[in-house]
Amino acid sequence: MSGAECESDMDCSGSDCGDAGYEDYYSTQPWDGEIDNDINFDKQKQDPEYAVYECLRVDEVERLLNENVEFLTTNLQITPSLAKLFLHAHEWDLQDILLKYQDNTSNIMIDSKIILSHSVDPLFNMKFLKGNLCSVCFLTFPTERFSTLNCGHSFCNDCWCAYFETQILQGVSTGIRCMANSCSILAPEDFVLSLLIKPIMRERYQQFVFRDYVKSHPQLRFCPGPNCQIVIRSKELRSKRVICSICKTVFCFRCGMDYHAPTDCDTIKKWLTKCADDSETANYISAHTKDCPKCHICIEKNGGCNHMQCYNCKHDFCWMCLGDWKTHGSEYYECSRYKENPNIAHESVHAQAREALKKYLHYYERWENHSKSLKLEEQTLEEIKLRIQKKVMNASGTWIDWQHLFEAASLLARCRYTLQYTYPYAYYMEAGPRKELFEYQQAQLEAEIENLSWKIERAETTDRGDLENQMDIAEKRRITLLKDFLEV
Amino acid sequence: MAALPRRIIKETQRLMQEPVPGISAVPDDTNARYFHVIVTGPEDSPFEGGLFKLELFLPEDYPMSAPKVRFITKIYHPNIDRLGRICLDILKDKWSPALQIRTVLLSIQALLSAPNPDDPLANDVAELWKVNESEAIRNAKEWTRRYAMDN
Ligand SMILES: [Zn+2]
Ligand SMILES: [Zn+2]
Ligand SMILES: [Zn+2]
Ligand SMILES: [Zn+2]
Ligand SMILES: [Zn+2]
Ligand SMILES: [Zn+2]
Repeated sequence: MSGAECESDMDCSGSDCGDAGYEDYYSTQPWDGEIDNDINFDKQKQDPEYAVYECLRVDEVERLLNENVEFLTTNLQITPSLAKLFLHAHEWDLQDILLKYQDNTSNIMIDSKIILSHSVDPLFNMKFLKGNLCSVCFLTFPTERFSTLNCGHSFCNDCWCAYFETQILQGVSTGIRCMANSCSILAPEDFVLSLLIKPIMRERYQQFVFRDYVKSHPQLRFCPGPNCQIVIRSKELRSKRVICSICKTVFCFRCGMDYHAPTDCDTIKKWLTKCADDSETANYISAHTKDCPKCHICIEKNGGCNHMQCYNCKHDFCWMCLGDWKTHGSEYYECSRYKENPNIAHESVHAQAREALKKYLHYYERWENHSKSLKLEEQTLEEIKLRIQKKVMNASGTWIDWQHLFEAASLLARCRYTLQYTYPYAYYMEAGPRKELFEYQQAQLEAEIENLSWKIERAETTDRGDLENQMDIAEKRRITLLKDFLEV
Repeated sequence: MAALPRRIIKETQRLMQEPVPGISAVPDDTNARYFHVIVTGPEDSPFEGGLFKLELFLPEDYPMSAPKVRFITKIYHPNIDRLGRICLDILKDKWSPALQIRTVLLSIQALLSAPNPDDPLANDVAELWKVNESEAIRNAKEWTRRYAMDN
C-alpha cells in the first residue's frame, strides 16, 4: 500500500495490511501515542525503545512554528521577522529568548546577528553613498533606490535582488549575509521579501526557510523517506526509533539515519564510515558458500538462520565460526565474542596492525552476516506466505490459524535487527566487566534468535506453543540487553 | 554575448591603469570575462623568482558569485592542489559581492607568502609542510625553479 493511496488519516492497521512486511509489526504496536499522554509513562519504563512522537503535515508544522513567532511578537513587541531570527538562532527555545531579551536586549541582537557589536565603518557609506554610487554595480541611483540593512551597509535594490537570487539558487535562505565584505549580519525575512521580485524566487526562498526552521528545531525532524513530506515531532532528544505514518520509514529521531540501538548516534556514524573506508578489505567475506567443517562439501546459505545442517552428512554447525552447533546456545557460547590477545601491547607494530584488522573483521563479519540474514529471512517469509495461501485455499486451516507465523517472522526481524546493531557497539567497547556482561547478553540473544529462525524455517512442523514460547524468550533477551545498555 | 556590466569595465580599466605590484591581469582579446594573470613569487618566500601563470574567469552572475581562479603553472603549495585549484575562503563561502578582482589577486599573493597547512587542499604537501617544513620548502623551491622560471 503506497502513501498516495492512503487518502485520509492513514489508519492502515486493518486486515488488508496483514502482508505489508516487517514494518507492520512495529506500526501495529501501540508505540506512537499522543504527546503528553500519562499512560506513556509506564510504557517508557517497560520498553527502553518507547518514544512519544507525532507525524505532522507541512501545514501543521507551519501552524506550530507560527505559534512560537506570535508568542514572541506579542510578548516582546517585535516584528515577526525579528522573532524568527531569534528563534532560528536559539533553537526555538522561547524561555531562553525571553530571559536573554530581558537581561540584555542588545546582546541577544548581536548574538542573533541582527546588529553589529561595533558601529559600521563610517568611511563605507561616505565613500559610496555621497555620490549615490552602489559599491557592487558601480552605478549611481537616486537615494530611494537603495536599501540598508541593520548594520548600516547600503546597496542598490537591483544588487540586493540579484544577490538574493544567487544565494537562493545555492540553497541559502536563513543564512543570507549582508553583501559587504566580512559583515556577518543576516538579512531578515521581511528585508529579503521586500526586495525579491520574481514569484518563483519568493516561493523557493520560503520553502528553504521552512526547511531551515525545521532543521534548527530540536523537536522536529524531516522523515528521511524518499519524497516524503512528513515531519516527525518529538520532545524526545535521545536516539529513539520513530516510524513515519505515511511512508513507514523507520529511523532514529536524533540523527535521521537507520535506527541503531543499542549503538549511539556518534558510534554508528563512526562505524558506518569505517565500513565504507574498509569496504575493499572486508569484501572477501561476502561469500555465500562455505565448506562443511566435517565432510567438506560445499554448502550454500539460502536462509537467514546461522544454525546450518549439512545436507550431506547432517552435521550441525555454525555458519559464522564453523564450530559445532552443540556448543552454541550453552553457557559457553563464544561465537559472538572476540578474544583479544592479552599481550598485544608488547607485540610488534605489524602484529598490532594485524590484530586490529582481525578484530575489525570479526565484528564486521557478524554485522554483515546478520544484515544478510535479515534479507534472507524476508524471503523466507514470502515463501511461507505462498505456502500458507495454498493451504488456506485447500481448506487446511484458516488465515487466523497461521497469523502467529507472521508475528513470529516480524519479531525475528526485530530481534535480528537489534542483534546486528550490537556488533558496532561491542567493537567500540573497552575491555572490562561491562563488556563481558554485554557480550554475555549478546550471546544469549544470538542463540535464541537462531533457535527462533530455525523453528520458523520449519514452521509448518513446529508446534505453535513451542514457537510462541521461543518468540517470548527471544524478545525478553532483546529487551534485557536494551534495558541494560541502551543509553537513555 | 550580453553587454559587459559597468562594474567589470571599471574594474578592468583600473587593473590596467593602476596594476597591483607583482601582479599582471590582462583580459583576453576575445572574451572580456577571461583574464590572463601572472603573479610574481613574493620575496622571502620559496616561490621567489618564479612567475606563476593563472587563469581568472568572471562567471555570468559575477559579482554575486566569486571569480573562478586556477593556477596554470605547477606549484608546490599546501593550499593549491595538483589541478591548480586554490583553497581560499573568499573564493568560496566568504565571498562578498563587494570584493573585487584586485582583492582576490592580493589574497592569492598573500597565500604564497604565508602557506596555511592547517587548511589543506593538497594533503600530502600539507602533511610534509607540518612534519618537515624545511624539506617542504626545499621542494617548493625546486618546483619553482623547474616550472616557474624557464619561460
Ligand atoms: Zn548596485
Ligand atoms: Zn553589513
Ligand atoms: Zn515518511
Ligand atoms: Zn541516531
Ligand atoms: Zn557435511
Ligand atoms: Zn558460531
